Amino acid sequence: MSKKHSENDKHKPHLLANSITKSFGAVQALKHMDFEVNKGEVMGLVGDNGAGKSTLLRILTGVEKPDSGEVSIDGNETKISSPQDAVNAGISVVYQSLALCENLSASENVFLGKEILYTYGANFYPNILKPLNKYLMEAETKRSLENLKVDSIKYLNQKINGLSGGQRQCLAIARAIHSNSDILLLDEPTSALGLSQTEQVLSLIKKLRTADRAIVIISHHLSHLYEVCDRITVMKAGQNVGVFSLHHTSEEEIIRAITIGEVVINK
Amino acid sequence: MINAIDKTLASLIKRNISGYLPVLMALIVIWVYFGISEPAFLSSRNLYYLLMQSSVVGILAIGITLILLLGEIDLSIAAVAGVAASILGVLSTNYDFSPLTSCLVALIAGGVLSCLMGLVTSLFGVPSFIATLAGLMGFQGLMMKILGSNGTINVRDPFIRGITTSTLSDNHAIILSIFIILIYGFLLYFDHNKRIKYGLNINPLKLILSKFSFFSLSILSVAIALNSYRGVPFLVVIIFFLTVFIAWFTKSTAFGLYIYAIGGNAKSARHVGIPVIFVTICTFTITGLIAAIAGIIGVSRYASVSYNTFVGGPLLLETIGAAVIGGTSLFGGHGSVWHALLGALVIGSLGNGLDLTGASAADKLIVSGSILLVAVSIDSFARRFKK
Ligand SMILES: Nc1ncnc2c1ncn2[C@@H]1O[C@H](COP(=O)(O)OP(=O)(O)OP(=O)(O)O)[C@@H](O)[C@H]1O
Ligand SMILES: [Mg+2]
Repeated sequence: MSKKHSENDKHKPHLLANSITKSFGAVQALKHMDFEVNKGEVMGLVGDNGAGKSTLLRILTGVEKPDSGEVSIDGNETKISSPQDAVNAGISVVYQSLALCENLSASENVFLGKEILYTYGANFYPNILKPLNKYLMEAETKRSLENLKVDSIKYLNQKINGLSGGQRQCLAIARAIHSNSDILLLDEPTSALGLSQTEQVLSLIKKLRTADRAIVIISHHLSHLYEVCDRITVMKAGQNVGVFSLHHTSEEEIIRAITIGEVVINK
Repeated sequence: MINAIDKTLASLIKRNISGYLPVLMALIVIWVYFGISEPAFLSSRNLYYLLMQSSVVGILAIGITLILLLGEIDLSIAAVAGVAASILGVLSTNYDFSPLTSCLVALIAGGVLSCLMGLVTSLFGVPSFIATLAGLMGFQGLMMKILGSNGTINVRDPFIRGITTSTLSDNHAIILSIFIILIYGFLLYFDHNKRIKYGLNINPLKLILSKFSFFSLSILSVAIALNSYRGVPFLVVIIFFLTVFIAWFTKSTAFGLYIYAIGGNAKSARHVGIPVIFVTICTFTITGLIAAIAGIIGVSRYASVSYNTFVGGPLLLETIGAAVIGGTSLFGGHGSVWHALLGALVIGSLGNGLDLTGASAADKLIVSGSILLVAVSIDSFARRFKK
């Protein structure tokens, strides 16, 4: 039993993408894609490889510009034309291709772009020139990695170029969590993780789900999504083929939508 | 158990000095070689001249390291130094500007010219190699224009000359060395304490102590050696503090972190909201200021400005060579200004030693070229190895 957009219109969605279209040359990655997520909700986003999930995410984070369509937050149309805009709008993200800097340390990666600075009570010179509080950043990183049950990263103040894929993914997640944003977008956050780290990430997502935060998870593991999501949006060939409430939908129905789904015209 | 502790200690030591090791080894090999083949090489008199000779390259190497860290290159850096030097020479000699005002104007000019390079590189997306190549040519022309028809300006101003001719008194040199050592010791202690306070893993005491003793011994022995000739040159003190400041700036401020982040992964730097264009332009500007300082030092040292001292000779290549020999990567994101300074000493020692042993200019070029090639190969190899 699928639930469509229109039935959920009682409250305004926190993040709403309306009829987004995006082409890369001849490839139409998104065709009038609608997407929404509410406050206090964890929304899954599924679809086959190349369905356009990551593209949608990159548009929401200002990395890619849509050809048409608009994004609104709490009902206000919001221009997200650069990653900085997305940060300002309270959106933070874990990318599928982990965007870490190999030449920086674990804690520098976690805090890059929103460093903890010594202020010395002075505000007459710009933040960018203030000294970094490396100790606090490292301690905070240590704490959040402990929360994620990651104890294999020993030297948080050393370059990360020796870390494994899973360790990096944990750092990327620690990074997103640390931003404390209202909107958290995770593109396959568990794809490189071991069993216990996956469990930790999923339970952490449950913890992160607070009344005023919206979380979006892209994943190919339906079982993971069933564990943490309230609803799932299914994409096929750049279009929204249905939004399902997990309490009312079986895994088979979702798989059917992913493989043979058709666009539900809801407007 | 003991074995395990030794292993972590060894890996810690490796991590802590691995950046310094190649360049220090090169320096030691060169010093031992020339020390044996030409005993005058290790005299305190020669140490004095070695430091003086390496000063301009050393300062420029600090400047270009910032650009290399960004993953860019600045071929115009020596020409910027040349323009700044020419401005200083003309203003202080032909136009009777006070030396301080002339220096200030030279600094501003250096900053503005390199800022222009940064603008073209980051705003218009012109590869820095091309943009600064154009800059190199343009600034060479500019330098010729400023210097006028006879091409050389002699600068006899006592203040400007004094920058590189004055030395500290023996006592002041020792007091300053001890002061610096105490500060360094305090910083190590402060760091250790903070790490304990925040519950972070700490370096073993052995490592901290050996760092401290190595640093203290180096500083003191240089000061004592220089005292036995003319004394510690004021210039050495200037370069030391300039390097301390730039090293602190790159390693300990948000701006410095952004330089490394952009050089390491420009795309993700942009994704996390780092103002890449702004940081690039500012870094170029800072490098321009540093280049201008090198220009001022050059004028003071040679008591003149001429086209050849800055752009006709090997200054640009020696600068890039010093940074790369110091282990700064041409691919961005790896390196430090201290290493660049050591790299400049390697280049300086080679030139100085080959001069002493009576090598020809041709030999010097061939040896320097080979060393540079080895350094760049190590850089490329290390990069491929890491992937
Ligand atoms: N920068 C780009 N240039 C050209 N084509 C692109 C680009 N980015 C995405 N595409 C195309 O757009 C389509 C959607 O890609 P996208 O990465 O969004 O898929 P996805 O749903 O995230 O797939 P996966 O599950 O494999 O991660 C694909 O056909 C892809 O080839
Ligand atoms: Mg994807």
